[in-house]
Amino acid sequence: MPGLASLAWRTVRARPVRAALTAIGIALGVAVLFAGLLTNAGIERSIDRTVDALVGRADVRVSAFRDQGLSPTAVASVRAIPGVVVAAPVIERRTFLAPAVPGSREPGLPAAVTVVGIDPTIDPQIRDLALRAGSALAGSGARFALISDSLARDDGLGVGDELELDGSADARAGDLRFVVGGILAGDGPSTDPDGRTVVIPIERAVAAFGPIGVSHLDLRLGDGLTADAASVEIGRQLTNEPYVIATPGSLAASLRASTTEFQATTALVASVALFAGAFLIFNTLAMTVSERIREVGLLRAAGATRRQVVAVVLAAAAFLGLAGSLAGLGVGTLLATAMATRIADLGGLRPADVPSSPDAAVLAVVAGLAVTLAAAAEPALRASAISPVDALRPQVASRASTASRLRWLVAVFVVVGVAGLLLRPTSGGGDVLLRGAGGYLALLVLALAVPWLLVPLGILVGVPFRFVLRAEERLARGALSRDRGRAALTVGALAVGLATLVALGGLAGDARGSASDWITSVVPGDMLATSVTPRPLDDGTVADLAAAPGVARVTPIAGFDVAFDGIRADAAAVVGADLRADGRLTFLAGDRTAALTALDAGGAVLVPRSLAERLGLRVGDPMHFPVGGEQAVDLRVSGIVARSLPGTAGEAILVGWKDATTGFGVTGADAFAVRFRSTATDADRSAFDDRVRSIGLQPATLASVEAAVGDALGRVFGLFDGLAALAVIIGGLGIANTLSMDVLERVRELGVLRAAGMTRRQVWRMVVVEAGLLGLVGAILGIGGGLAAGTVMRAIGSTGGGSAVIPWPSIGLAVVLGLGVSVLAAAYPAWLAGRQSIVRAVRAD
Amino acid sequence: MITLSPEPAAPGRPTLPESPAPILEARDLTKRYELGRTTVDALRGVSLSLRRGELLAIMGPSGSGKSTLLQLLGGLDRPTSGEVILEGEAISRLSDEDATRLRRDRTGFVFQFFNLIPLLDVAENVGLPFTIAGRDPRKGELRDRVRDAIALVDLTGKERHRPDQLSAGEQQRVAIARALVTRPAILLADEPTGNLDYATGTEILEALWRSCVERGQTVVLVTHDAKAAAYADRVCVVRDGRILDEIPLGRRLDHAAGPLIARLAQLGL
Repeated sequence: MPGLASLAWRTVRARPVRAALTAIGIALGVAVLFAGLLTNAGIERSIDRTVDALVGRADVRVSAFRDQGLSPTAVASVRAIPGVVVAAPVIERRTFLAPAVPGSREPGLPAAVTVVGIDPTIDPQIRDLALRAGSALAGSGARFALISDSLARDDGLGVGDELELDGSADARAGDLRFVVGGILAGDGPSTDPDGRTVVIPIERAVAAFGPIGVSHLDLRLGDGLTADAASVEIGRQLTNEPYVIATPGSLAASLRASTTEFQATTALVASVALFAGAFLIFNTLAMTVSERIREVGLLRAAGATRRQVVAVVLAAAAFLGLAGSLAGLGVGTLLATAMATRIADLGGLRPADVPSSPDAAVLAVVAGLAVTLAAAAEPALRASAISPVDALRPQVASRASTASRLRWLVAVFVVVGVAGLLLRPTSGGGDVLLRGAGGYLALLVLALAVPWLLVPLGILVGVPFRFVLRAEERLARGALSRDRGRAALTVGALAVGLATLVALGGLAGDARGSASDWITSVVPGDMLATSVTPRPLDDGTVADLAAAPGVARVTPIAGFDVAFDGIRADAAAVVGADLRADGRLTFLAGDRTAALTALDAGGAVLVPRSLAERLGLRVGDPMHFPVGGEQAVDLRVSGIVARSLPGTAGEAILVGWKDATTGFGVTGADAFAVRFRSTATDADRSAFDDRVRSIGLQPATLASVEAAVGDALGRVFGLFDGLAALAVIIGGLGIANTLSMDVLERVRELGVLRAAGMTRRQVWRMVVVEAGLLGLVGAILGIGGGLAAGTVMRAIGSTGGGSAVIPWPSIGLAVVLGLGVSVLAAAYPAWLAGRQSIVRAVRAD
Repeated sequence: MITLSPEPAAPGRPTLPESPAPILEARDLTKRYELGRTTVDALRGVSLSLRRGELLAIMGPSGSGKSTLLQLLGGLDRPTSGEVILEGEAISRLSDEDATRLRRDRTGFVFQFFNLIPLLDVAENVGLPFTIAGRDPRKGELRDRVRDAIALVDLTGKERHRPDQLSAGEQQRVAIARALVTRPAILLADEPTGNLDYATGTEILEALWRSCVERGQTVVLVTHDAKAAAYADRVCVVRDGRILDEIPLGRRLDHAAGPLIARLAQLGL
């Protein structure tokens, strides 16, 4: 067997360019997989780090439902529960940070931060606040602050610098000024979207923000008390104040849920890249078997068994697979770094670094090898079936039948699918995974259809070439049918890559359109003025804004959490009359006027369709919202709307302000929707912006909100597009490989053409036109397949609302990439064809 | 030089047309190949000339330089020194572009193997030189020329056949039709019967001979087969890169190889 291994190695070495192209294809496929695995590991680590920063060694976190927090009595009663070893209070507030040096920041745009007040004497028993510089908070009374690394970097703050918070109106100036005592190594114990956290002693937080309650109470439990038992006991104790209980596990699960879509899409794209790589491997080995058919015949004639022949082909594949997979680890690490940076740029989870993961490396190499060997199985078996008699005949060809190629395709599809599952979301996401699988299946159908569509489409796309490059087009088009199976696999690899781009483009367009429709259909205004702290309705803000020239209406909105049927849900307080007057909300059930009037009167709730479908709610159904202990708010569904205001994890239930303040304890609005009169001038709008800023609110037009949403979606989908482009490049490598093989196989034919008067340039153009035809056919199939895959994924993902968007930019990109990559891939084979010597080509031996 | 007397002319017997100037001349051709550190002299000062309508056979043992000579005569390759004159024009120093044009318009080639483009049918293969030149062989005069060339090689009715639907002899006849369709000044055939059985080889030789007789086509035929060479008007014997002998056979109907074989035997071939 060592002798046969050496033969396999020499088989690989005999065609160095082909071997290199194939190994690069495998490397890119494995790189996408490895990058996905590393990114997943980074996200997991980031989740663990975030949960650790939030709750540390706490077993249970009790969070206040209302803005005013848990009262000292509630805190004391929880502390008194037998088995609670440590109860560390945390106050969390969003506020502004005044510039340390006046004029150092853009005027009128105060920077928001999350202030976390902790008890320096108790908190170390719950969490370790790792410091990059300076020292920990020493005592409760000190006016020292710890700031997060991001805040220090963004604002150029260092140990010893002063910072000033925007606190309550009653606070003394001295209570708002702090000296930076230390800089945290990470983002600190908050989920601030920008990682801008300020940690101060809890007593100083009370002094700065007034007599407010505790936002969270982090508990460590003794051996005799479980989290479930503690929850029951807390329910008994906290009968007057609403709260939410979380454990480190539930917090991590909630964070993981936000990455489900990302992980599933990464899995899909990695599968596509591996799938394209498998095409390349199959084609390469099939070509090698065809080329070495006499050698195989000689081996068989010399006594080699079928098994030995299979072993030679598989060993050659293993050489390529191993080399490609190992190279893929390097490329994958670079790719993962780029992905981590992009994810960090998007906010939310911040995988700061790419972890080194031997497990991921082993998994990626094993997956790469498995896909390689699966792809090599058919050529290996075909080689073993070669009869020595047939192989040594003058005219011999060994080509796989279409049926055996299709069987191979399905087998590889399954193996690649299993490899893709390595990247599946770690928790939940059944729908998301199903959607990815649906899209992947659509791509398989596309790949299976390629052999039948190749020739008719080749004729179709050849029409434009026929007018200018008649001879080249005729010969190039004919080449498509020379070995239809090989051409089909080559086009198939390119088509699945392009289809992924188009499908992602369609989904991105849907998401953008749906987000845009969502915003304009539910927000009763042209702009939003947001506040980092709730503004009481009676503090004059609404009246002040409404009095501005050009303003028709100002609608206060507040977002808050509710508990229903044992789950947390988003809710928003709105003014029904304003929504009615502005014509917002699309009612699917219930009378519009009656429902919105009932909302303001109290006792009514509007439910978005997504929630109504999930919970089986209908108009008239009662909804029971516990708000702590034995208290509850009972409302009745007065209408079901197509879309509602966005919450933190879905669409919000809409309640009137009366119920929000009296029942749910909402203290004020955190946003104001402003509708301008049609006569409002640009000057009015500009003056209004200044007015909004002058009272500490942040103005944003709906167009800018839509643009921000579109930008965020664009960044995420841009990342996936980048990964899918790698699959297209793999397809391009396949084209380079196939065309090179075609040229080598057709040396004599090229010699005859040259002898018959074809110029080198014509030969070169013929190969380029052949590549162009392959690329255009691939693009057409990719576009069709991508639209089909997008439709399948859209149908499986019950997102509801929004119509399907035809992703014209992605379609354009697919055409340009299909043609561009193919023509680029043809450069070497065309050069090879052009330089063939006629004398050598037509030599008889 | 050893010569054979050509057959005397008889009534009704085809004769070689008289031509004042040679259509093709080779003057002191040499061809040297560098193979690593070894230098191989494939041709060492070969001179010959052809009259219009003549069928010249070049014979010689393997490695004698006969195929190299054919390639230089047809402009497929350049000589190391010496000149090839086709219809009064030196073709041995043409640029790649001009040499290509020459091959397309003024010479035709037939090789031993792989003469046809498998994905084109008979008519398309025959019309290939026109297609390459950017002209449509399915229209007008070109269509007639394609049809005539196919008729000349007795393949009428098989225009739409693909090469793999033809016998080896038919494939080679298609190659001859393609080489003749542009009405080249000279047709060069390199072992066109080398891969064929006797009967099929005879079909090919008949087709070549007919092109000379019926159309006045000038043909250079490289072969190692005396029976094939017996179709020629004249035979050049090449050995070690030099012309060893020129044997005039004259235009004969019976193509008897006996006298030629005897002469070759005298030469030790």
